[in-house]
Amino acid sequence: MTAQLIDPSEITSRRILAIDDEQANVLLLRNLLEREGYSDIECLTDPGSALQTYIDFEPDLVLLDLMMPEVDGFQLLEAFGRYDRAEEFRPVLVLTADTTLQARRRALALGAKDFVAKPFDVIEVALRISNLLETRILYERLRKA
Amino acid sequence: MRAGTAPIPALARFWADRPLAVKGLVVIVLPLAVLLGSLVSLYLASNAETRAEDDVRRAFAIQRDTYQVHALLAEAAAGVRGYVLTGEDRFLEPYRKAQEDVPVTIARLDSAIEDTIVRSHFEDLRLIERDKREGLREIVELAEGGMDTSGEVEPALTDNKLALDELRRSIDDIQQREAVVLDERRARVDDVRRGFLILTAVSALVGLLGSLSAVYLFSTGIVRRVRRLEGDAQALAKGERLTEMPEEADEVGRLAQRLVRASALLRAREDDLRASEERFRLVIERVRDYGIFALDPKGIVTSWNLGAERIKGWRAEDILGRHFSSFYPPETREYLPAQMLERARKSGSAEDEGWRIRKDGSRFWANVVITALRNEDGELQGFAKVTRDMTERRRSENALRTAREEAEAASRAKSEFLSRTSHELRTPLNAILGFGQLLEIDEEKFGKSHREAIGQITKAGRHLLALINDLLDISSIEAGGTDLKIEEIDLNELFDEIRALASPIVASAGLSFELSQPEPSVAVLADRRRVMQVLLNLVGNAAKYNREGTFVRLACRLRDTDVEVRVEDDGPGIPVDVAERLFTPFDRLGQQDRARVEGTGLGLALSKSLVESMGGRIGFEPLDQGSRFWFSLLRPDQARDTPAEEQPSAFEDTP
Repeated sequence: MTAQLIDPSEITSRRILAIDDEQANVLLLRNLLEREGYSDIECLTDPGSALQTYIDFEPDLVLLDLMMPEVDGFQLLEAFGRYDRAEEFRPVLVLTADTTLQARRRALALGAKDFVAKPFDVIEVALRISNLLETRILYERLRKA
Repeated sequence: MRAGTAPIPALARFWADRPLAVKGLVVIVLPLAVLLGSLVSLYLASNAETRAEDDVRRAFAIQRDTYQVHALLAEAAAGVRGYVLTGEDRFLEPYRKAQEDVPVTIARLDSAIEDTIVRSHFEDLRLIERDKREGLREIVELAEGGMDTSGEVEPALTDNKLALDELRRSIDDIQQREAVVLDERRARVDDVRRGFLILTAVSALVGLLGSLSAVYLFSTGIVRRVRRLEGDAQALAKGERLTEMPEEADEVGRLAQRLVRASALLRAREDDLRASEERFRLVIERVRDYGIFALDPKGIVTSWNLGAERIKGWRAEDILGRHFSSFYPPETREYLPAQMLERARKSGSAEDEGWRIRKDGSRFWANVVITALRNEDGELQGFAKVTRDMTERRRSENALRTAREEAEAASRAKSEFLSRTSHELRTPLNAILGFGQLLEIDEEKFGKSHREAIGQITKAGRHLLALINDLLDISSIEAGGTDLKIEEIDLNELFDEIRALASPIVASAGLSFELSQPEPSVAVLADRRRVMQVLLNLVGNAAKYNREGTFVRLACRLRDTDVEVRVEDDGPGIPVDVAERLFTPFDRLGQQDRARVEGTGLGLALSKSLVESMGGRIGFEPLDQGSRFWFSLLRPDQARDTPAEEQPSAFEDTP
């Protein structure tokens, strides 16, 4: 249904920020996203610079790992939440190897819009990304209307 | 009654034994009886007097009658003489009167005379009188003859005169005798009167004595004893022992005996109490592990036991009379002892745990209970203090707490480690599987050998993931880190669920899936997700390894407290000698045979952990053809009104 509403190119043209301290995972995500047709991708392995990048890059979607040295994903979720305007819908998809219920609850409570456990199914992750972007686009349209 | 006070012990005893009613009767009847006796004797005495007076009267009558006889005869004789001399008839008058009256008087005398001497005189008198009258009659007849009779008359008259003299003598005899008799009778009357007087005096005396003895008897028999009883009762009240008395059978005696028995009983009880107090005192004195001692209201030590000496190091003679604040270390000595006494005074007792010091100044950790001691009126008498040396206990409790904290820390560390391990293993696997999947998507770009290689990578990666999941599951369960949600689950629901989930697996192995559901259904206590995990594992195993058979069968058997769920197949079976290793991790029963079958080697070990964490057991038994795996699930507490029948495993095909 949404496919009729939204042109796929409008989805893939969106900016995606991927944050993971593991180089291999970042590579996997970039590889997956590029294969799906996304072009505006920013990848970070240093969570320390994440907030600055978030502000400068203004991503439409964030792919976020939770367990990272120095600054972890929960702190970033809080920081993003503080920075975002209340009426904005900027989805964060948490991708983490921490499969505990507590981690899932905490991340979702801090504003994450979705949660996928590692190791993940690449196709599932690609579908969730496009769904979240679709929601964002529809949300923007609603606000403009 | 004391035996010594009685003049005749046996009599006194007899008297004392009579009931009070008898005693009262005697006391009242005795004077009355004496009075009655006096009256009777008075009556008898007056009767005797009357009789004696009659006798005197009779004596006078006899005297009078004898005189009359004499007078009549004398007059008759004088008359007859006159007649003889004159012949005049009128002189015969006295003679005729005498003839008439004398026999009458004689007859009266005859009946009146009782005295034998008088009677003999009277018999003489009668003869003489008869002669006399005969003589007079002869004279009168002679004189009447009219002849000269002077010759014959003169001697007759002389005879007559002699007879009269004789008569007079006889009468004198009678009179004399009668006078003697009269004197005797008078004397008797006097005797009777005197006797009467004496009798009266004696009666009065006896009456007086009777009254006195009645009073005496009453006094000794009742009053004195009641008074003694009162003394006994007072002694009893003071708790003195009463001396045993001779048993007297009346009420007072029985009461006295009861008092004596009561005193003996009281004494026995007091002795018991004293013995028990003594025992108690000894026990307290001998107790070694508790310091038990007493304080006066100001806190001065007034008693000391062995335990107190052992714990505090003070000997009784050194500590008695000192204030108990000596046991407190300097930092609490100023306020805590007073505070403790105040608390005990207000609420009855006060408990405290803290440092105390021994005589040598060393410290020990004490548990102290101070109890206020009050008398019946609620006045404070002092305090009892019980002290225990808890230093060892405190040390071991601290050690225990440390050990527990360490164990908890270790458990936390283990959970943390598991969680980190999970994360660290999954993270590289994510890249491996992710890239593998991407390569599989692009597999038309590669040659056959590369495609196979990519397939091996993803397959090994998934296997590794399964291994990691199972391993972490087991570790987590064993570390107690898995929260089970145990609830009542309908067994048929479980069967329906497993049918839906496992049917494709069983069907893909070319086997039929037979379920024998309990009818009616029963409830079990289990975590739904975990029990499904176990069921899937067992059914999956049966499907995987049964490559020669025809079916996988699910059945159950109801028991009193649990349900046994069975998963059976008709495959090649498992040798008994290796069966015991079935539930050991990674022991896949001959890897060479089973290499073709995919599995982590952790499924049964995980199932075992899961079943046991739900309170059940798991096991295996070989069948004639095939194998049976079973596990038990607890049933909710149920009323045992219907004995749970063993439900035979009726293996009916369920289409």
